Amino acid sequence: MSYIPILQVTLTVISTLALAFIIGTLLPGIERKYIQARIQQRIGPPVTSPGIMAPLKFSFKENLNPNSPLPSLYKSLPIICFFAVFLILLSLTPQMYGFKAFTSIIAIVGFLKVEEVAYVLMGSLSKSVMSLGLPFPDLAKGAAHPDTERSYLEDISSKRAFRMIAFGSFPLYLAMFIPVAISQSIFLSDIVAYQQANGPFIFTVAGIIGAIVFFIGYMILLNEYPFSILKAKADVIEGPYMEYSSKYRSVLYLTRGFFMFTLGVLFSVLFIGIPPNILSWGILVNIAVALIFPVLMSIMSAFSPVFTYRQFYPVVAATSILGVLAIVIGLL
Amino acid sequence: MVEEKKPNKQDVIETEISMGTVHPAALEPYRVRLFVEDEIVKEAEITIGVNHRGIERIMEGLPVEKANSLTEKVCGICSNAHIWNSVLVAEKGLGIEIPERANYIRIIMEELERLHSHFLYLAHGSEVLGHETFSMRAFSIRETAMELLRMIGGNRVQYGASIIGGVRPRCELNEMRIQKIAEGMDEIEKGITKFADRFVLDPIVMSRIEGIGVIPQKQAIKLEVTGPTLRATGVAQDLREKMKEYEPFDFDVITLDDGDVKSNLLMRVLEIPESIKIIRQAIKNLPSGPVVDRSWEMFDCNTIKSYIEVPRGTLYHSYAIEDGRVRGSVIRTPSMSNIGAMQYACIGDHVTDAQLCIVQCDPCFTCTDRAIKIIDL
Repeated sequence: MSYIPILQVTLTVISTLALAFIIGTLLPGIERKYIQARIQQRIGPPVTSPGIMAPLKFSFKENLNPNSPLPSLYKSLPIICFFAVFLILLSLTPQMYGFKAFTSIIAIVGFLKVEEVAYVLMGSLSKSVMSLGLPFPDLAKGAAHPDTERSYLEDISSKRAFRMIAFGSFPLYLAMFIPVAISQSIFLSDIVAYQQANGPFIFTVAGIIGAIVFFIGYMILLNEYPFSILKAKADVIEGPYMEYSSKYRSVLYLTRGFFMFTLGVLFSVLFIGIPPNILSWGILVNIAVALIFPVLMSIMSAFSPVFTYRQFYPVVAATSILGVLAIVIGLL
Repeated sequence: MVEEKKPNKQDVIETEISMGTVHPAALEPYRVRLFVEDEIVKEAEITIGVNHRGIERIMEGLPVEKANSLTEKVCGICSNAHIWNSVLVAEKGLGIEIPERANYIRIIMEELERLHSHFLYLAHGSEVLGHETFSMRAFSIRETAMELLRMIGGNRVQYGASIIGGVRPRCELNEMRIQKIAEGMDEIEKGITKFADRFVLDPIVMSRIEGIGVIPQKQAIKLEVTGPTLRATGVAQDLREKMKEYEPFDFDVITLDDGDVKSNLLMRVLEIPESIKIIRQAIKNLPSGPVVDRSWEMFDCNTIKSYIEVPRGTLYHSYAIEDGRVRGSVIRTPSMSNIGAMQYACIGDHVTDAQLCIVQCDPCFTCTDRAIKIIDL
């Protein structure tokens, strides 16, 4: 008898996650086809291409073994990233709210950190031919500093990923603690219950500021223009992802779409108080937020050049100050 | 006036970052070695030579007309400039005076080429900047110039307009073509005005390019920088002012002071209306008459030199004629002079800006891959 509710809950969670995954695969296409391409007055790729067809195509390609000191770890990192995103979404589903420690803000921050640390490891474990310059011993004379140690492009992106952990992710984490400050609880169940009783945080001053800060943090975490210094085409090209091919690249692409959806859902849980549940009409709000965020992000990226630290530091500092201000307002 | 950068001379630099020979931010194969500390470039070294095709060697001994056609293959962007200058060498040596109408058509072709080259520069610069939208818009406006070139020359890249004695008869401008050029100029003018407004008024773009890749005027002169890159440092040097081919046309030489990426980008933006002005004058005052004079005779002559102002700066061609064939051809493209400036511009800026600092000098390394010295070991 007790098996039936458990089965029902399991099926609901699986269906919610499956729906999220399916919509997540469409988000990169919507971002590139309907927003960026329209703004840039070009046709753009088919909407299914970046999120579905490209991963599908990559999954059937032959894999190239990376030039990595720890190839197994390097290859497992995209799967770890996907799993971390999966766990974040799982913790957001209302059926899991019984597992208090798993569904707290601290747990979500932890899973997000896994994602960020993975970038550092990806960069430091990859040594692609793109950085070597020439595919034969370099005997070119005339270098001003012949004894200088040569750095791989991925090394630079790894260092940048480390800096991002240090300061780049401040806005998102500060924004995540605004609902905590208002509801006086780190548990998602309390945050959702508080909003259902008192109205969504998005309609408060702290919530409005928090939404802006969250959005900036969202863009930084997704390494989207103008915050894509981690994989700036002008120098480090693809950065930490450079040597991923075939099914590993496929997983990376799928993770990105899934991550976009998950962060949208995280916002709707923290600031609107609607958790993702396929059995509730509230899932439409989750989907709407998950669509609005990439659209706004896409508009911003279409009109911005890539930032260097000269622009990055002031933006992060200003956004972080706003985040702190929102927390203070929330506490008052 | 911008102060000169003085990089600290250090014996040991932390890291070297090597980009290329294949890199998505580079349009052509070349290699740049950046010596950096904490992602700030302390020294830069550009190596070219990957795309050496030995065109001058192939030209050796070819009939002059054939060799002239070959020079067009030096560059895919300023192909007209190469064939024009090569033809000018022969015309100077053989004492040929071309019909006035032919000169006007040559000027129209060259200025259309300048337009498409400058738009390509703006598009590439914006792309390296990470601003895809500006890049796409620049490409979109450039299409008009490309289509006009195709209409006149029959091709989008290799037009083959100039021949000894004038221009090819297929490049003759009839009323319909003149009308289309006039409409095209209106379209380009409208496009560049909108582009410039949006570009200059975008505070994020301005913060990204202001004070980056500064080449002070003194340094630019020392490095023998040429073309718009030199003019962006405040030196009013444009060979078109001294070329007799440009005598009938009125235009201004644009100069800016800062010598940074912003000045270089704006330099091209401001030069585009000047080219439009020249083309409008050319179609308005286009003389009547033949477009080619074939009554010339071939004879031997010693090495003849010709300099012209092309979109990137001063282009040099020289060769001697012996039995109607080319001897000792030398081509020197503007990027050869500007490589030093590209290396200098990178110093003191962030690694992400390095490609931008190189691109600001409008490099065309494939055209520059010319000299080769073989040392017998």
